[in-house]
Amino acid sequence: MSITKSPKVLLNVEWQAGEAAELWDAITDQQLADWEALWQPALREALQRLHREKVPLERWPQSRHWDWRRKAASIRGLLANPAFSVMCGGVTQGMMILDTTRRRCRIESQKGKNLVYVEYIENAPWNREQLFKPSRYKGVGTMLIRAAIETSVAEGFKGRLGLHSLPQSNDFYANTCRMTDMGSDARYQDLHYFEMTSEQSEEFIARGARS
Amino acid sequence: MNTEFDAEWCLNMARLEGDGEIGAGTVAADPIFDGELIEQRQQDEPVVAFGRFVRLMRRRRNMDVEKLANTADIDIEELVSIEEDPHFRPEVRTVYQLSMFFDIPRESLLQIAGLTKPKDNRIYQEAVRFAARSEPVAALTPEERVALETFVAVLNEKK
Repeated sequence: MSITKSPKVLLNVEWQAGEAAELWDAITDQQLADWEALWQPALREALQRLHREKVPLERWPQSRHWDWRRKAASIRGLLANPAFSVMCGGVTQGMMILDTTRRRCRIESQKGKNLVYVEYIENAPWNREQLFKPSRYKGVGTMLIRAAIETSVAEGFKGRLGLHSLPQSNDFYANTCRMTDMGSDARYQDLHYFEMTSEQSEEFIARGARS
Repeated sequence: MNTEFDAEWCLNMARLEGDGEIGAGTVAADPIFDGELIEQRQQDEPVVAFGRFVRLMRRRRNMDVEKLANTADIDIEELVSIEEDPHFRPEVRTVYQLSMFFDIPRESLLQIAGLTKPKDNRIYQEAVRFAARSEPVAALTPEERVALETFVAVLNEKK
């Protein structure tokens, strides 16, 4: 399988300047090796610190039990599940898996139409202010959401997206991505379901161009 | 697909991101529950009862694995592993989905799945007994049905 690596930029928090990065349209063994050898130890270190500081469990990172190796293996080769990763400094900074076939829109104005559903999206532990201060890079989330929008456009879904946000991420999807918060979903552990219309995806893209 | 959005766009959006988390995905959620999670290294003991239980509950509803996976919204490969591999440990969220679908208290199901420490030793003993009585065969026999229903009753008992 050929992998497209598109040159991009992340914001290096320490430098307060851009640093060359790449958006890959795949999750390969390289990303999974990074997850195992770099993400996991960093996450463990952060969790030990939260434990020592007696931070309540509900404020611990919600995704601490994710197993990217298993997720990636389960979708390998499936056209319905495109995957993306962000590389910077030779290390994986974020990963995302999409679903292009199983879900439909819930917002009344586009109800029943196809959309791209974000199955999983996660930032590297050192990019999360909640775990490491200061964090290392910003821009992983918006870059991956842009990739999800472009996938939606390519599928003919006009930029429509849906996802279930972890509680600590609601603010990002409501205010940075400006998706519509459809409220908590009892079928999915009361996670908030967010949806992006084609108009909202156009606005998201335009905001980056005019900022 | 167009992935040619430029560096300036990336940088502009990065500056708008703030300090918030970005994690999303239903399988990612780490549900809050009462039980104490068993450490990974302690999860080596096989849990025969859970796989048998899921299989018989599925067959009682005349469902194949694919239909149950789609209906309960869980990964089909994970469901196969649950039924076939007694050393397999499912995701917490998967056990939650199964508990909702089968209408079984999730704390009990988490215990027999080997994910939480048993608070009720009787459930553990009943799980062992159930595993011993429920040999998998082609059709659900009257004995299996009795074994399954007895175990369901125990799981549903109010403490």
